Amino acid sequence: MTEFGVETRADGVGVVTPEGRLNMVSARRLREVLVGLVERGTSRIVVDLGETTFVDSSGLGALIGGLKTARQAGGDLRVARVSPAVLSVFELTNLDRILRPRPSVDGAFDD
Amino acid sequence: MTDPVPDYTGRDGRLELSAPATPEILELVHAMMAHLWTTHEVTAQQRVRFETSVIEILGNIVEHALVGSAPGDGRRFDIVLDVGRDDVVARLGDNGIPVEMDLSKATMPDELAEDGRGLALAKAALDSLSYRRIDGRNLWDLVVLRGGS
Repeated sequence: MTEFGVETRADGVGVVTPEGRLNMVSARRLREVLVGLVERGTSRIVVDLGETTFVDSSGLGALIGGLKTARQAGGDLRVARVSPAVLSVFELTNLDRILRPRPSVDGAFDD
Repeated sequence: MTDPVPDYTGRDGRLELSAPATPEILELVHAMMAHLWTTHEVTAQQRVRFETSVIEILGNIVEHALVGSAPGDGRRFDIVLDVGRDDVVARLGDNGIPVEMDLSKATMPDELAEDGRGLALAKAALDSLSYRRIDGRNLWDLVVLRGGS
């Protein structure tokens, strides 16, 4: 069962930390969490994948959906602390070019 | 792509499961694969390629099973997993509706698409992926070769 840590930092950036596997079951929940953040006015979001052990195409879809929702609200979605296993799925789908992984959560919005 | 169909005869270490085609069953299949990795030396890259593909194909089966059907109407799947000397293989079968697609045409969608990546991802991750419809069942064969990366 995947748990989601959700917090909004003092600088207004929302940090979502999925723990475990992002598959067709948990991706639905991730979509809801990301849309909920944007609806509450947090459109700059970091998804911390440091505790995520597996991502399938549903999880990728949820991340892309969140990215589009955040950008439409004037913000952005960044991913950070991506494991080698998850990075290889990004690369197989060419999404490493869109979801350019950042090494740290704190510095994810530095550029 | 030539699609060698794995021969499961003599694969005595194989794991098998027959279960309802529901989203919740994914966790059990993840656990089966985790068990495989405790008993065989398979590289991290090969593990992620195999696990991702198995879950994509199973996700496809579950989604098809759910189309136009009520829970508990008997849609089931079965799966066989094995690590051989030269390969890691899976066969997934289900009694759902025929899959209407041409695997050779499964390509990555637009970068900002939110779905439609599953089969293309499995194809990219595997050394071989084949689909057949036999006796009213869908059969998928997945192969990752152990000699590669």
